[in-house]
Amino acid sequence: MTLMMLLAASATLAALAPAVARPWGGRAGWFVAAGLAALTAVLVALRPTDGSLSESVAWIPAADISLRLQLDGLSFLFALVVLGVGALVMLYSAAYVKERAPGFYLLMAFFAFAMLALVLADDIVVMFVAWELTTLCSYLLILRSSPDAAAPAGRTLLVTAGGGLALLGAVTALVVRTGTTELTAVLNDPVWREEPLFAGIVAALVALAAMTKSAQFPFHAWLPDAMVAPAPVSAYLHAAAMVKAGIYLLMRFSEAASATWVWPTILVTVGLGTAIMGAVFALQRTDLKELFAYSTVSQLGLLVAVIGVGTPEALTAAALHVVAHALFKSSGFMYVGLVEKRAGTRDIRELHGLARAMPWTSAMAVLGVAGMAGLPPLLGFASKELILDAMAHSPAGTAVGLGIALAATAASVGTVAYSARVVVRTLPGRPMELKPARGTVSMAVAVGTTAVAGAVGGLLVGLLDPVVLPAAADATGTAVGELYPLSLWHGVNLALLLSAVAVGGGAIAVWQRARVDTALDRRLFPFTGVAAVARAQSATIAGGRRVGDLTRTDLPASHLAVPLVVIAGGGLLAAALTTGRWGLGGGVAVADVGLTVLVVVGVVAAVASRTRLGSVIAAGIVGFTVALWFYSLGAADVALTQLLVEILTVVVMVLVLRRLPATFRRRSAGGRLRGGIVAIGAGAVATVGTLALTGDRALSSAGEFFLRLAEEETGGTNVVNTILVDFRALDTLGELVVLGVAALAMTALLTARTPVGGTPDTAPPGPLSDPVLNTVFLRSLARPLVPLMLLGSLYALLRGHNAPGGGFIAALLGASALALLYLAAVSDRAAPLRLPYLPITGVGILVAVGSGVLGLADGSFLRPLHADLLGVHLTTALVFDLGVYLAVFGVILAAVNLLGMPSLDDPPRGGDRAGSPTAPRPTTAASASAPAENDRSATEEAPR
Amino acid sequence: MMLALSVGALVAGAAYLMLDRTFLRVIIGFVLFGHAVNLLLFSSGGILRRTEPLGSGPDPAVTADALPQAFVLTAIVIAFAITVYMLVLAVTGRPDEDAPTEEAEEGPTPDPAEPDAPSDTDDRSGADDRSGAAPRTTDQESRA
Repeated sequence: MTLMMLLAASATLAALAPAVARPWGGRAGWFVAAGLAALTAVLVALRPTDGSLSESVAWIPAADISLRLQLDGLSFLFALVVLGVGALVMLYSAAYVKERAPGFYLLMAFFAFAMLALVLADDIVVMFVAWELTTLCSYLLILRSSPDAAAPAGRTLLVTAGGGLALLGAVTALVVRTGTTELTAVLNDPVWREEPLFAGIVAALVALAAMTKSAQFPFHAWLPDAMVAPAPVSAYLHAAAMVKAGIYLLMRFSEAASATWVWPTILVTVGLGTAIMGAVFALQRTDLKELFAYSTVSQLGLLVAVIGVGTPEALTAAALHVVAHALFKSSGFMYVGLVEKRAGTRDIRELHGLARAMPWTSAMAVLGVAGMAGLPPLLGFASKELILDAMAHSPAGTAVGLGIALAATAASVGTVAYSARVVVRTLPGRPMELKPARGTVSMAVAVGTTAVAGAVGGLLVGLLDPVVLPAAADATGTAVGELYPLSLWHGVNLALLLSAVAVGGGAIAVWQRARVDTALDRRLFPFTGVAAVARAQSATIAGGRRVGDLTRTDLPASHLAVPLVVIAGGGLLAAALTTGRWGLGGGVAVADVGLTVLVVVGVVAAVASRTRLGSVIAAGIVGFTVALWFYSLGAADVALTQLLVEILTVVVMVLVLRRLPATFRRRSAGGRLRGGIVAIGAGAVATVGTLALTGDRALSSAGEFFLRLAEEETGGTNVVNTILVDFRALDTLGELVVLGVAALAMTALLTARTPVGGTPDTAPPGPLSDPVLNTVFLRSLARPLVPLMLLGSLYALLRGHNAPGGGFIAALLGASALALLYLAAVSDRAAPLRLPYLPITGVGILVAVGSGVLGLADGSFLRPLHADLLGVHLTTALVFDLGVYLAVFGVILAAVNLLGMPSLDDPPRGGDRAGSPTAPRPTTAASASAPAENDRSATEEAPR
Repeated sequence: MMLALSVGALVAGAAYLMLDRTFLRVIIGFVLFGHAVNLLLFSSGGILRRTEPLGSGPDPAVTADALPQAFVLTAIVIAFAITVYMLVLAVTGRPDEDAPTEEAEEGPTPDPAEPDAPSDTDDRSGADDRSGAAPRTTDQESRA
């Protein structure tokens, strides 16, 4: 078993968890707990007796980013906490979680995986990714806990993701500056010592990231805010996962960042301030869960401050406190969840007599809370002793050290006081009515295990030496041998004295609790942290809206004005810069003049037309003229494409036209004038720009390359086609995807929105109104033409590589055949065009991708393979072209099917009318309206 | 010279049509604009060499640049797909903005949302309502 396998196993557990939870429900907690316990065992087995274990798998070799994993002392400590506490929390969840278990276990197990990846990562980019994953996990876990959780979850995400941005800044700066992504190398880089400014900024960014994650002032608000999450989530978040990620980051960077004064300054001041503030807030709360939440804020403040001190002793204390805190805080939260479940409340004003109502669990709770208060002989006492001692011996000097230690003692007084509140207010008194204990056994076991572990860990603290000391050694770059072994009793010293002061002060606070409560029963700050975050959030959104207001308008013309003016300005500027080089040479060919005249006539007609049909015809004139332009410029392929597209455009436009009114609404005179001025200006600029920018330039080197090498490289003599399917096939593939998306979007639009208008039957009764007779010519023509056109389309596809043709043109030709079939049909319904257009488009894209994958055989995606078979040159470029064919064909089919077939909205109206005896209806109406009901079902099926 | 004039005429027509409120005219403007850009692409490859880039060993001195041709070829197809998409937009959602009131009066097209066809007197006001609501529809469509 390797580290990589450990991580993979953890991910697999997350994948399996929902599958197990589906049939098992909440009881899947047993499975996940067993899995995490097994992973813990593997972790312990993997741990080398000394030194560290490293592995690496290339991930993004181009950027030198690898999946580097390292198991050293520090990683081991945190991984143990993540997996061990995780197993216990899962055990607890088995009884606690009742509904929506699959998602819960998926996220919790994935959370464990993300944390494991974070602490094992030896690549700074991998570490960052894992860091963000934990943010997302906690967001989702809070979000799904209740319908009201969206706001707190959102605030949590904003704060922690904001910290993630700070970390991203630090990571980027470090990678750029040190030139490696390997975390160990980054941390050992001399830049930390040699460039104080750089080191200071990066250290501040890292500290900022850790502060948001570990809920330090002023980012503490999210943690109590996140209390909407269920007890197991809170227990994991507070004890082992989310907030400990910040602590891990600080300890990991401790040695390197301690080189700059910024680091201890921020950490110690922020940490101590948060510790005291959190303790005071915890004293104010009557909701047990909130009390524990602020206790976490306070305890983490203490941890952050002692990491800031930076000595090996301080880091030893921090490492031990991480373990102690994980135990007593998970025990506390799980206890609160159990109480809430059985007593129906978690408010200490309503709880009483729990000692007699649930003696066993209460005893465990007392044990846990005593650890939190730091009473001997528990683990919490041992770690607090070390913290106070390390602070008193701060490298900043005796006076500063004493000040820090005293501030920490003040926070500890609060800790003792609020811990006592939990016990004193809820345990004594008349026993409460509780719900039966059945089904909560595993919850009680989990509470008991963590509490007892805290007690045993205190009495036999020396057992933790192999876990804690290497962690501190790795965090400070010292040898394990240089560290003092852990012990519960250090003799009478300053730390013990301060501890005694803390306990005494706390006891007095408990004794005088009525006064303390009165003194604190008010708002200490003019606003709360949650309100501050909420206000910052709404101010940001309002600011964005104000910026958006600058450009928000309902007039399309206003939106178009900006790009038009910018392009015009650019064109004029460029024209002015290149005055001397305008390409007027070459004379004026007569044909060109004729083409230009045709274009102008078409444009004028399109602009002047007052009917929709007229403007479509005018647009057609322009399109055909442009096709002639292409032909005269020596581009048969392009001209052919343009010609076919023009035909199909007109077909589709006519399909649309029958749903729209016949005439346009006239623009106001002012509107016409403004439009005219803009239009003439734009036209003039475009002319000048074209002359100035392009002129009669010589063949570009790229163009020459293609002309010279096309045949040699690809075996094709149609240079344009070789560019499309060979040289620049990836571009073409992208275009196919665009076509596919267009077909999908059309389908979605017509499925989701109601088409306007119907198929108005305006044809007056007369010789042309009978569709059967009316279409006789087209039908007679179509009969021989359609097969010919389809054959031609196939031929064009096959010969495309060497002569005008290719996938695009062939598909357009084929689609034109179908369009002819459609136009010749007696009615919409009769047109034999119901083909699965979306699958055809999709298969086209897949075929193109598949031919690209074949190219991998020759070393590169989309590189065509060549073979000569019986004297015929074959290439996979033809397969690619077939994909092009199918994709283009599918899109056009989609348009004709979606727009041309009788659609959802058509019919009730037509049916009514046909039924009314007074309305004189031409024959078409009867034939069009009668099958309307059938068509409805037919079109509903069509998009599939 | 003539090509540049063609581009200019196309751009002028496109600009005029795109500034209109009627969606179909905007679409036609878009089509014209596409033509203009395609011709511009051609002109960027030089327009004096006009022999087809076909056959073995083309002579670079007289053969047209194949690269802009390839660009334009795919651009035409893409522009076609987008045109069709916009046409679909034009006929979905609410009735087209500028339904002339006369037409609404003589041959009312009841809203799918209103099951009861309005009476003759109501019809006039109904048509007015629709045209009053019209600009909003346009904007939704063009934004989409």
